[in-house]
Amino acid sequence: MTEHRIRFTLNGEAVDVKVAAERLLVDLLRYDLGKTGTKDGCSVGVCGLCTVQVDDAPMSACLLLATQVDGASVRTVEGLASPLQEAFIEEGGFQCGICTSGQLVAADALLRAKPDASDAEIADWQMGNLCRCTGYYGITRAIAKARDAR
Amino acid sequence: MPPRDGRGALIHPELLDRPERRIDGVDKTTGAARYTADLVVPRALEAAFLRSPYPHARIVSVDTERARGLPGVRAVVTGADVRGQRLGRRLQDWPVLCWDRVLFIGDRVAAVAADTREIAEEAVRLISVQYEELPPLLDMDVALRADAAALHPDAASYRFLEGRGERPAVPHPNYQGHVVESHGEVDAAFGRAARIFEHEFTTPRIHQAPLEPRAAIVWLEDDRVRVVSTNKAPFNLRDQMAATLGLAKDRIVVDNGMIGGDFGAKGLSTDEFVLYHLAKAAGRPVRAITRYADELTTTNPRHASRIRLRTGVDAEGRIVAHESHALFDGGAYAAGKPTARLLVEGGVSTLEGYRVPAARHEAATVYTNNVPGGHMRAPGQPQNVFASESHLDLIARELGITPLEMRRRNVARAGDPTTTGAPWHGPDLAALLDRAADEIRAENARPAGRGVGFALGVRHVGRGSTTISLRLERDGTIEARTGVGDQGGGQHTLIQRIVAATLAVDASKVRVRRLSTEGPQDPGIGGSRVTPVHGGAALAAANALKDKLAGRSVAEAAGALNPGEAIEVTATFDATAEDHGACAHAIEVAVDAETGTVRVLSAVLAVDVGQVISPVGLRGQLEGGFVYGLGMALTEDLALEDGRVQAANLGDYKLPTIADVPPLRIVHLSDGHGVGPYGARSAGELVNPGVPAAVANAVHDASGARVRVLPVTAERVWRELRGT
Repeated sequence: MTEHRIRFTLNGEAVDVKVAAERLLVDLLRYDLGKTGTKDGCSVGVCGLCTVQVDDAPMSACLLLATQVDGASVRTVEGLASPLQEAFIEEGGFQCGICTSGQLVAADALLRAKPDASDAEIADWQMGNLCRCTGYYGITRAIAKARDAR
Repeated sequence: MPPRDGRGALIHPELLDRPERRIDGVDKTTGAARYTADLVVPRALEAAFLRSPYPHARIVSVDTERARGLPGVRAVVTGADVRGQRLGRRLQDWPVLCWDRVLFIGDRVAAVAADTREIAEEAVRLISVQYEELPPLLDMDVALRADAAALHPDAASYRFLEGRGERPAVPHPNYQGHVVESHGEVDAAFGRAARIFEHEFTTPRIHQAPLEPRAAIVWLEDDRVRVVSTNKAPFNLRDQMAATLGLAKDRIVVDNGMIGGDFGAKGLSTDEFVLYHLAKAAGRPVRAITRYADELTTTNPRHASRIRLRTGVDAEGRIVAHESHALFDGGAYAAGKPTARLLVEGGVSTLEGYRVPAARHEAATVYTNNVPGGHMRAPGQPQNVFASESHLDLIARELGITPLEMRRRNVARAGDPTTTGAPWHGPDLAALLDRAADEIRAENARPAGRGVGFALGVRHVGRGSTTISLRLERDGTIEARTGVGDQGGGQHTLIQRIVAATLAVDASKVRVRRLSTEGPQDPGIGGSRVTPVHGGAALAAANALKDKLAGRSVAEAAGALNPGEAIEVTATFDATAEDHGACAHAIEVAVDAETGTVRVLSAVLAVDVGQVISPVGLRGQLEGGFVYGLGMALTEDLALEDGRVQAANLGDYKLPTIADVPPLRIVHLSDGHGVGPYGARSAGELVNPGVPAAVANAVHDASGARVRVLPVTAERVWRELRGT
């Protein structure tokens, strides 16, 4: 079992840690760095609960080794300051909340890359983030509302 | 005239109509909300389980020596260590760990606690078990043969929890529950029928699939057993653990974090019982977070069903007699069912919502060597409604009348005998059907390949008792204390809004604190219970506080308090009144005749849920319930092969995604006369049951293909179109 020293920025702050070679990013975030806003659902990259931004691109932290973010900039739900969050509250974008971090991080990445994303583009982009509670209608309304508020 | 509360006082619609701001909103949108798997318990070990690879086998030997020798392993427990201990919500038939036989693929035989999850899982692989395979009973008909071996020969010794009498007798040892109910002169009524129709329908096992897998932490502290669990009814889990482990109830304290979805799944907990033994053996806290593959393959999904219906009608197509025979595959254990009859009760009374002058219903759950069945959002009802509403459509087409006309002729009106024999009292079902038909423009001609389907769903408003206390502080804020957790249904916001409206304060003045099982008894989440029961208790507590204020406003009373003083009230409320919510579904689909592909174009829900208390929460329950039903209609199938669940991850088990949901219109029709607080009714289990039937009926309307087996896949439609 080899250890690696990695340095990256997490929500704008410098992180410098030693990790085992096989340590997953989701476990590093949740258990070593205490950022439990990122959730672990299916563990195989399907459900989207663990979505984080790596250099602004949405990625499944359960499929990334921690060493793969060496030198990168990582953003989790704890680093968001977006009108999306208020819109999710107002429009019923969540119920149980377990998928919400991933939904928000993914949607934030979309609106950063494409501030005028169409409703169809929103649906296409968020397809990798499952929600079992809302039926997605509230999520769609919330993302559209945040987009329109810009 | 403005509505009045139960005591004749004017209520405050202006407060109930205020924008709703979910009490859990900020925590859930910033990552601050803490779920069970997020909690840090110092020195906690991680658990892993060894599971049976066979659907039915005798355990010959278990060798744990190599596992115990692995560095980092702190405790190993096997079935031999817990011999005789069985768990369950009502009938305790599920071994904490198996000691003599395993009864399904995934049954647990040993557990390990280790420094890390990886070590625990490695240790599990080092345990060697010798099995002697036994013939599995994988089919309900085979399990019910007169000469079939009893899967639970010692059933008479199993514990049956809680006072409502003994476990009901069953006519074959491989029944979990069995009932025959009737009203009217059924055989004579069939004799008078102009025509009689018979159809059979099948639904697969499907999974609740809350996206948060189960998690639990157990530790021993002084003489207490501390449990933090994703279980949605902590008092029930406490009572189950006390019975199974032989501990006094007050020695066990169960607490929750936020619960990341439930849909019925999290009424059953199994890990907590083993964690107790591991924590005791290791002398340290032990945690288990279920791998999602284990969630899908070894927990308690919705029962697969086979439902046969027979209905007699008069010359005008009016139902005169009806009978049903419904079998539900209960799997290896009945432990997942909390109901006294060990049935999925929503599956018993077929043709609910219609006038049925005479009916006989036979329903049963069956022991097999498949994964145990459990409760899932309106247990038994989606299977029932799929069968009943498909059956009505088929009868209509045979009679040469439209499915809508068939429903108009038979829908229950006030006072009509329903399928249970009880007279209908509740929402205006005919008005809901008419409105749904209008909204989808049912009468319009449609191009080839398009069609509309209908279904009617009625769901009881839950009952039960709970206690809520309020504490008015000197700063004018009110703390509401409740034992109910938060699985996403918005219960804490509901309590807040009712207290605020009743006491005429801003909702921001009311905060809600959840208590563990150290607080007053609470029934937990489930059975469409929270709005009538917890909402009712919130209203009772607010009225009690209002009485104490003796005419003063909340601000005046708070201002008169001395430092350190507060005004406290506690109210226990027992919701006993009978009532139903109702939903008429209208769904439009397009079917590709070449491929059988079904596309849902739009959907309408006409609902009666009484007075709306939390508009955002309600909308979420209705929209979410619709898509929950859409998954059952079109994609979800937890298929088994030789007893093994085939979908071991969320890539194979197809949940609807954001790209799969059609435009949805929801229309509210209500007189506001529900039995819940301020005239509310329940909503959580109202919508999902009717969706599969409405989709199947729409597919028939669009293409002529009648699919009698869920889900309605392109392949099944294609086969029906070709008559193969």
